[in-house]
Amino acid sequence: MSPLSIGLLVEITARTLAVCLPALVISLAIGLPIGIAIGGRRFTGRVPLVSLVNTGMGAPPVVVGLLVYFALERNGPFGDLSWLYSSQAMILAQVVIALPLIVGITLAAVGSLDEDWELQIRTLGVPKRWRLWLLVREIRLGLLAAVITALGGILSEVGAVMAVGGNLEGETRVLTTAILMYTQMGELEVALGLAAILVGLMLVLAGLLTAVQQSGRT
Amino acid sequence: MSASTILSASDLRVELQSRRGSFVLTADALDLHAREALVILGPNGSGKSTLVRTLAGLERPAGGRVASVATGPVTMVFQRPAPFAGSVAHNVRVAFLGTKLTGAERRARVGEALERFKIDHLAEHRAATLSGGELRRLALSRAFALRPAVLLLDEPFAALDADGQAALSLDLRRAISDTGVAVAMVTHDLRRAMLLADRIAVLLDGKLVQVGRRDDVLERPSTPEIAQVVGMTNLVQGVVGTDRRGDLVMVEVDAQHRVATHTECAAGTRVWIGIRPEHLKLDVGRGDVDPIGKGVVRGMINDGVSVSVGVDWAGSELRTHLMAGRGLARSLEVGAEVSLSASPEHVHLMPVRSD
Repeated sequence: MSPLSIGLLVEITARTLAVCLPALVISLAIGLPIGIAIGGRRFTGRVPLVSLVNTGMGAPPVVVGLLVYFALERNGPFGDLSWLYSSQAMILAQVVIALPLIVGITLAAVGSLDEDWELQIRTLGVPKRWRLWLLVREIRLGLLAAVITALGGILSEVGAVMAVGGNLEGETRVLTTAILMYTQMGELEVALGLAAILVGLMLVLAGLLTAVQQSGRT
Repeated sequence: MSASTILSASDLRVELQSRRGSFVLTADALDLHAREALVILGPNGSGKSTLVRTLAGLERPAGGRVASVATGPVTMVFQRPAPFAGSVAHNVRVAFLGTKLTGAERRARVGEALERFKIDHLAEHRAATLSGGELRRLALSRAFALRPAVLLLDEPFAALDADGQAALSLDLRRAISDTGVAVAMVTHDLRRAMLLADRIAVLLDGKLVQVGRRDDVLERPSTPEIAQVVGMTNLVQGVVGTDRRGDLVMVEVDAQHRVATHTECAAGTRVWIGIRPEHLKLDVGRGDVDPIGKGVVRGMINDGVSVSVGVDWAGSELRTHLMAGRGLARSLEVGAEVSLSASPEHVHLMPVRSD
């Protein structure tokens, strides 16, 4: 194993972001509408659905990785995609991890609105597209909490990306899998350095999001 | 639907299911006319909010229909107005989303609406920091900013203190008068109803039981149950007598207590006698103008403005009001014998149901 160069460090960090950020964006794109739909309506089957989401929020990432692995392996239902041990597989696993977090926190934020909130909007004659804008604006603090939680979850996750990515050098190695590998190799200084970068990355991203969140309070 | 009708409900039936059980609201006919204030009165749980929500199109009737010929917006202010995130001015601007008003027009309307309800100095404050009274003023500002043709109000004075209610009701009355908006307002506060109403509708147990001009409903309720809701709280049973004095008929409660009034009822008919507290006169002398007999003071409640006096009369407690600190109110004591009188014009008879 070659010593960790600056170039390699940058590459691993860049790959970590290249996996986590698309996973976050995809999770938001899917999870937000689902969270709003579940949170704002009462329908038959809502309770088991919310229970399923809550279970998903606490699902062990390594189990998620295992399920995604089975889905993507050669004989699995999506084996033809040949995604196993690729960035796409890692993104998919992280979407599965982040999605319940986004849906759960969004539906809780929508559910916490006053029960007459939507009716007030309707009686003001606000068109539907503006109602959605108002809703997102109304729950934006909760949404940012969802983004921070999901980002923290996928950025620090190791079990699932290891299972479906394989920690291949130059292809699927990200900060968490690299930390695990260097720890197992006894290269603790390198592992600690990578851990510091991971924590720093999380601090910067969470700090930015928190700043946005707090500015929304004024 | 008459020419002046702007919103009407006919053969309405609304069925609601909740964890507490089912509720059915029925209203045969209810019209809201242009430029009028219709106040919907009723006890808690009688269906007032359900009715106004149905008129607003928020509840779908199981039967009948709500028809509107309003040329402008129909909007509603809720019992617990929840502010939107952002400033007070933003909360009013929400009403203009999707409209083609220019920025200048929006600013002018926001300013005008906030000024109308005296919260223009709070325009840039966060709406979430407003007090309950200020929130109601904000909700009313937003509704009036829309320049609605019909405004539906669900308990606009709920949870406000007496001063807050009085101040807001005066501002609301002025706003209604200035804009000419047709208003249907739910309340269980009779004083607010008397201040604002052109007409009154009464709901009891989910049924619209009487609609009419304000004074007609207040002075001539159809049943004793409606009488209680509209403040005609002095209710005693009697029998229409044979003794007539001119066009007046004597209604007998017992041998010592008789009330003169006008009625078409035949002699021997059992009736409810209703007298509003403000129409029951109390005197320690002879009480010889329209006397209805003697009574004994059983209780007095002085709130600093008025004294509510309970008088035992023919085995029933009748109530009347005196102005605190003036005249008889200063000398009257519990146990005193008093003479009661009521003008025949203010004695209202209602049928006694046979069931």
